[in-house]
Amino acid sequence: MAEDRLAQRERVFQQYKRDVKERGKPFYPYAMFHDTLMSFVVAVVIIGLAVIWKWTTPGHHTGFNLFGTTDHPDQAGWLGKLYDEPADPGTISFVPRPDWYFYFLFYLLRIFKWPDSVILGTVGIPTIALVLLIALPFIDLRSERRPLHRPVAMVAGILAILSMGILTYKGATAQESLPTENLTRVPGWAQKEGFTANKQAVAGAKLFAVVGCLNCHTYLGTGNHNLGAPDLSAEGAKRKGVAFQIAHLKCPSCVTKGSPMPSFANEGAENLNALAAFVEASQGPK
Amino acid sequence: MAAPSSRYERILYPVDWLEERSGLVGGVKYFLFRKVPGDTNWFQTLGSATLTAFLIQAVTGVILAMYYKPDPQNAYPSIVHITNDLWAGWLVRGMHRWGASVFIILMFLHMGRVFLFGAYKYPRELNWIIGVLLLALGLAEGFTGYLLPWDQTSYWATTVGININGSAPFLGPFLAQFLQGGTFINADTLSRFYAIHMLLLPGAIFALIGLHLYLVIRLGVTSPPWSKHPAGSGPVTPPAVPPRTGLTEPTPRGGSVRG
Amino acid sequence: MPLETDLEPSREHPHVPGPSLWPAGFAVGVVALLVGIVVNWVIVGIGAVIAAAFGFLWARDVARGRGLADAPEVEPERRDGRGAPKTHEAPRTTYGRSAFLEIGTLGIGGLIGGLVTLPALGFMLMPAFLKQKSGAHDLGPLTDYPEGEFVVATFMTNPAQGEVSRRTAFVRNNGVVNNVPSFTIISNHCAHLGCPVQPLTAVPPQHKLYRDVTLIPLPTPPSGFSCPCHGGAYDTEGNRTGGPPVRALDRYLFSIRNEHLFLEAPYSVSHVDGVGASARIHKYTFSFPGEHLDGPESWLYPIQPPH
Repeated sequence: MAEDRLAQRERVFQQYKRDVKERGKPFYPYAMFHDTLMSFVVAVVIIGLAVIWKWTTPGHHTGFNLFGTTDHPDQAGWLGKLYDEPADPGTISFVPRPDWYFYFLFYLLRIFKWPDSVILGTVGIPTIALVLLIALPFIDLRSERRPLHRPVAMVAGILAILSMGILTYKGATAQESLPTENLTRVPGWAQKEGFTANKQAVAGAKLFAVVGCLNCHTYLGTGNHNLGAPDLSAEGAKRKGVAFQIAHLKCPSCVTKGSPMPSFANEGAENLNALAAFVEASQGPK
Repeated sequence: MAAPSSRYERILYPVDWLEERSGLVGGVKYFLFRKVPGDTNWFQTLGSATLTAFLIQAVTGVILAMYYKPDPQNAYPSIVHITNDLWAGWLVRGMHRWGASVFIILMFLHMGRVFLFGAYKYPRELNWIIGVLLLALGLAEGFTGYLLPWDQTSYWATTVGININGSAPFLGPFLAQFLQGGTFINADTLSRFYAIHMLLLPGAIFALIGLHLYLVIRLGVTSPPWSKHPAGSGPVTPPAVPPRTGLTEPTPRGGSVRG
Repeated sequence: MPLETDLEPSREHPHVPGPSLWPAGFAVGVVALLVGIVVNWVIVGIGAVIAAAFGFLWARDVARGRGLADAPEVEPERRDGRGAPKTHEAPRTTYGRSAFLEIGTLGIGGLIGGLVTLPALGFMLMPAFLKQKSGAHDLGPLTDYPEGEFVVATFMTNPAQGEVSRRTAFVRNNGVVNNVPSFTIISNHCAHLGCPVQPLTAVPPQHKLYRDVTLIPLPTPPSGFSCPCHGGAYDTEGNRTGGPPVRALDRYLFSIRNEHLFLEAPYSVSHVDGVGASARIHKYTFSFPGEHLDGPESWLYPIQPPH
């Protein structure tokens, strides 16, 4: 049987060569014209992207000449910044991200949050995917090429494309609740919740943004919501009072039995007052 | 070899001279005028489009290499210099940076097309394997090139990438330390990545592309699988009776007019 | 194979020069003469003599139309064995010789490959692994580190290499325990994949400079550390409290010299029991991020490369 199959596919290939000889067309100019046109499109796209990258970056572009100093390369145009700040190995405020075509791997690393499973995300899955790709011609031994007659291949292909697309999108939109990012949100919070005039609440909001509350809680759409901690956008509406908030911050498990929240007693009295004022002023978006 | 007589032969004499001594002209002619299936699809231009993107990368890369300085002190200033001061520097750098993304997208699209067409099956398995290797090498080019501007994104994305390699079992730590040239990223890392990006990987990619093209020429291009008469399905016999469309008179053979 | 159109010395063309080496000698003489003009007159003399001698011999050959073109007549061999004696031996098997040549070629080729590649390979690999000496780093006077407060210290591990060797550590003075100063010095490289970890507190813009070390005292102690890449979370001792990090943050050894704090080599930590000066730190050799130090996964990394 195997002998027949091998002999038959050899015959089909010989028939292919004969068919091409009889009814094929010369590569040049028939196929080569299509290739050249497509290559032209590729070249135009690349040049166009380069032009858009430079000319949509805010700055001073002197007319149409090919000189043109960009005064503000640190501001992003349509296609992102021309370059970031110089490398600083000692930074404590930078948010690293890979190039966009690695976002699917990047998000894979975020999915595998449990330390024992990390190696799956770093080397396990990418290696298995590469091995499967290389071994594909030995896994799929049928000679059928029509897509509608290859359901397994089509389903596998669509799943692969969809999952890579989703992983890439999630990687692109991934956000951490970082002190540096959250601080920029405080004015928006103050406006939405209506405590802009309350200086103590604003100070409390800034503390709230940086001491790690948003790693467990959510507030007005930011923060981490899969650790079971309650959303605090309207915590003040429960009218528990500043004293309660301070006592809770000092010893959360004393107030709420079994609470995994750590103690913030070492923030000091002034900061605790500010945090409590902020929580009480957060009575829900106006 | 007879002396050229007609004017045509005299003009083409250099070509004949080259052909007689090397056979190259014959090779080029074979490549250009070989037969390919007549029903090839626009999707089948993705392969040559990928090659074009890579050649654009190679050319812009060589030009950038004339102005880029691969050491931590001068790398970033040289990039700023290229982008802002040099004539069309922003254009060449932009083409190289976005050409990388286009190259990778095209590789994935080409791979998807080959998968859809089932063109990885006998006898083209080896070509598919070479293609997957090219994909991996292309991604590696993107990774090594990302470090070269030496800005914040470069430095930290590379740190993570090297440590991902380091988390591989057994030899991972050795691989990471070799890539970095030490226990942390240092000046050796940049020159190492530059050498890999400029010399090692392009050399390997060019060699594999050569093999890939050789196999495409030798094994031929497939017809689209949904084509009516794909190459390999046997000779096409024209129908004995021309198909009736109802729009034309039947051929005068005594048949009646219908429709 | 010479073509028909090339000429050989023969009875019809007696003046065509036969094969001979005199022209080579003449060339050597001319070269010596020219070189000697630049170098030394003695060589000019020697060159002139050589050129003259060989030139004379060459010219004599051409004039005579003879010389080495005259080959001795050899009587042809005859089938019956009489005539000129055999001048060669009967062919014998050359099997042993070709095998020797094969092995010789491969062997010498391998030797060449080894001689050329091994030093180059060693050059590529070894420098990354040989002991990278990093001395102690002076982080400034102890008075810059108030007790109980965190200070973010940024220093260069190798000032000769410049900014690329900059590192950051979170330093907390734990006071003096049994007359021994205690410091908690935590590296800011995340133990998952090396991203720069951020302290969970407001970081003031003011900083102090001690030589090339930047010190940022944190007025409010951070409630922990958080990593911007994949969501790792740590407490103030560097223990992992959430996310993918596989162990605690790395720490630095330290020493106190002349009332200054000096950082020594870094080491890796699986976890820390307790807080501050009374903490028990489970120490391991300095490892790359992502490597488990204890537990079953640590057998995946049996050998550490020399750091």
